[in-house]
Amino acid sequence: MAARALRAMYHAAATTTAPATLRYGLHRSRAGSYIAASPERPLLTGASLTDAWAYLEWRATEDLLNGRGGDDVFLHAAGAEVGRRLMLIVGDSGAGKSTLVAHLMLRGHRMLGDDLVRFAPQDCTFSAVGRSVKIEANALKDMPLIASLCAAAAVGTLLAAGCHYVSPAAIRHDWQAQPRKPWAVVLLEAEARDGAAGIARSSDGEAGVYVTEKVLSREPGVEVGAVRTDVVSRLLESLAEVAAYRAAGHDPAAIAEALEKEALR
Amino acid sequence: MLRRVGSEWVLYDAACERAHVLNLTAAVIWTYCDGEHERASIAEAIAREAPGIDAHDIRGDVDDVLRRFADEGLLR
Repeated sequence: MAARALRAMYHAAATTTAPATLRYGLHRSRAGSYIAASPERPLLTGASLTDAWAYLEWRATEDLLNGRGGDDVFLHAAGAEVGRRLMLIVGDSGAGKSTLVAHLMLRGHRMLGDDLVRFAPQDCTFSAVGRSVKIEANALKDMPLIASLCAAAAVGTLLAAGCHYVSPAAIRHDWQAQPRKPWAVVLLEAEARDGAAGIARSSDGEAGVYVTEKVLSREPGVEVGAVRTDVVSRLLESLAEVAAYRAAGHDPAAIAEALEKEALR
Repeated sequence: MLRRVGSEWVLYDAACERAHVLNLTAAVIWTYCDGEHERASIAEAIAREAPGIDAHDIRGDVDDVLRRFADEGLLR
């Protein structure tokens, strides 16, 4: 089961022959519970598979955010590449970033990220992280292609509690957005999910602040090390030509269509 | 650290790990907050750069913006 989950959730991750620098373990005890092992931390024992998996994902994310995975910085954000334009999608947890990204992929666009986006300070570019898109079960009704993949338990899909994990590579093999500076930052508003769908131009500066905070903020359960000032400087530099949009509404397919139209103008 | 973001400016306060959005006027005033310019000399310098704007208005804007900077703890 753990091996299947790993294949499903990281189906899109690039293969590598590089030796592993960090090792995480998931073991099943004789009693049927799970044991999660991560570097330099106590074992998590007696856990369900879901809890053990979530623990390992967060620990691995924390290690990346703390710089053990290299010089890159990670943002809590999603994103997609429409045409040759990259859009960063930011918003609080539950705002619908993953669903919006899935709709943009279904419209033929490449993915930048679902919940994590990599920023390389050296060249001020954002690039994709090979993780699966987490889609709420009730959002699948508007996505027949993904719904059929999930129903068939196709490679790269995994049904968890109330949601499906869908590898971007299960939707299209060349799923990965090209590293570049963003054209736009889209702020997805969770509190406005029930109204009519739409997008509107917003404050570029506020979007820049929001993106900066997404690197600096301390997400629940993740200890983010202090980000160097020069990294913030490069992050803001990468946003010099950005346009900001606010997106809201109950229909993520309509928001995706509106963003696509704006990006292809 | 002052950086342009789209059509606006973002001032990052590294000591407090806080970022602030500035309009163009505030961004210009910030560039004179170097410890060497007094309030009046900032207004005079901006008046020289923007000769079409009323000097009285500039002095008022400088006062307002410096007060905001001070309230945000940006002037040390």
